[in-house]
Amino acid sequence: MSIIQQHTAASLTDAWRTVNIDILTEDSSVNFDTSTLHPPQPEVSEADVRTLSTQVRQLLRGGDAEGALRGCLETPVYNGTDAAKDAHLQTIIEVLQSIKASDMTPLLKGIYAAPGGSELLDVLMKYIYKGMASGAPAAAGLKSPAKMTPQSTGFTQIGSRPGASNEPASAAMSVLLSWHEKLVEVAGLGCIGRTMTDWRRV
Amino acid sequence: MAAPEVHHLFHNPIADHSFSADHATLAVARDSTVELYGKAGNAFKLKDVLKGHDKTVTSVDIAPNSGRIVSCSQDRNALVWEPSPTGYKPTLVLLRISRAATFVRWSPSETKFAVGSGDRVIAVCYFEEENDWWVSKHLKKPIRSTITSVAWHPNSVLLAAGSTDAHARVFSAFVKGVDERPEPGVWGERLPFNTVCGEYLNNSAGWVHSVSFSPSGNALAFAAHDSSITVVYPSGPEQPPRAVLSVPTQLLPFKSLIWKAEDEIIAAGYDCEAFRFQGGEGGWQLVGTVESKGSAGHGEQREESALNMFRQMDLKGKVKDDTQLKTIHQNTVSTIRPYEVSGGRVTKFSSSGVDGRVVVWNA
Repeated sequence: MSIIQQHTAASLTDAWRTVNIDILTEDSSVNFDTSTLHPPQPEVSEADVRTLSTQVRQLLRGGDAEGALRGCLETPVYNGTDAAKDAHLQTIIEVLQSIKASDMTPLLKGIYAAPGGSELLDVLMKYIYKGMASGAPAAAGLKSPAKMTPQSTGFTQIGSRPGASNEPASAAMSVLLSWHEKLVEVAGLGCIGRTMTDWRRV
Repeated sequence: MAAPEVHHLFHNPIADHSFSADHATLAVARDSTVELYGKAGNAFKLKDVLKGHDKTVTSVDIAPNSGRIVSCSQDRNALVWEPSPTGYKPTLVLLRISRAATFVRWSPSETKFAVGSGDRVIAVCYFEEENDWWVSKHLKKPIRSTITSVAWHPNSVLLAAGSTDAHARVFSAFVKGVDERPEPGVWGERLPFNTVCGEYLNNSAGWVHSVSFSPSGNALAFAAHDSSITVVYPSGPEQPPRAVLSVPTQLLPFKSLIWKAEDEIIAAGYDCEAFRFQGGEGGWQLVGTVESKGSAGHGEQREESALNMFRQMDLKGKVKDDTQLKTIHQNTVSTIRPYEVSGGRVTKFSSSGVDGRVVVWNA
């Protein structure tokens, strides 16, 4: 039998390359719950988030912006319902919006210099990214994300641009962007790296 | 302080490098070969090319006393290159892994070496006299992902490994008949093969790029992709560690780290230069860069003539040539290694990186 005859249709295609061999391996990461690799996080209920949010608002009204920001960064919602997570994000964005642009850098530097401050700023970075990802945060929370996707309307883009059509959303977005800039100046690129690598999602 | 010794070997990434004990030979992993450079005056000249792997060589290590070279590659093999009068003779090692080999290091006793792999195992290899070949035993549990680096304890029994499952682990790699029974220490008393002496991760848990034991072997440091280094001080067998100190930095992640002494760690990585950390059980902190910038020859601010300025603007659209980094390495540093040790302290270390340079630094 010549070598050529040994080829079959199956061996000539490269379909075998697409076989996911991880599924066939018993103890591969696909067949293993990777969440068990990390210590579990305490669960935070929506009610807890609401209580915290009222406390934070009181601090804000009292003019203690740093206290308010610290308060919500110290209790990130790593383990909780989506509603609780979104509620906490809203609280944080409210705090961020209420802080003047000129106060940002001194405030961040203050937090960074304090013990455990680097961790708090990592949490802040996570919420900034979450805020940016959720499309229409804070005040514009009613608008559904589906509507935010640009529609193919040819040249009539003016009306359908997310930013232009939705003033509060774009305002929140610009606040997040300027916080992001200031935060990278203080906490460095390492802060972004940690946001990406961290398995504790907000 | 003397300036660092820079050897720009070629314009390819260097996955790993290793100097022989007398510093006359330098082995670098380049593509699917290991290139040996010999010292000629102040420069290194290509002396020999070890061809044997058919995929990218990921790691190479020269045993300081025997002069044997071990290399491992993405082709799932490791080769031991035995020096002989007619050149280096390769011997294949039975690794029994089904994914790429990622990292290899000789144990200090030089009777064993450990190969990390993408197959969620570490192959601990030793020479079997009766069959006249290198065989391996697998450290398997509880590794959940690719091994990125391994490091030996000075006693040649304990092995630290960093993995992409974000854990740094300490195993016993005790092989009966090869190793002396180790003295009981902080990591454990009885140490049969595959005893897990410690499993550590830090809070933000990026995957681990590099691990290293302190000179005494009583502390472990690891660098992870969350731009941090973490130092672990164990308290004894089966007990939680005395201290796990994590230092998050503002920098890009570190790819490699070494201990200069018990109170100093040097780490380098994506920022293209080495950084110094100092501390002890009470806490560690980043103290600065190893490289002093702005010195003569680097990052120079030459006086530009008006003609030159306009010529630059015409040719490049800008006045200053800013295509060079201010650091000596022009790309990620992938490996740093101790180069010269005196009195228990590393006095010089070498680094290699994606830019094809090998640099010897004053630590």
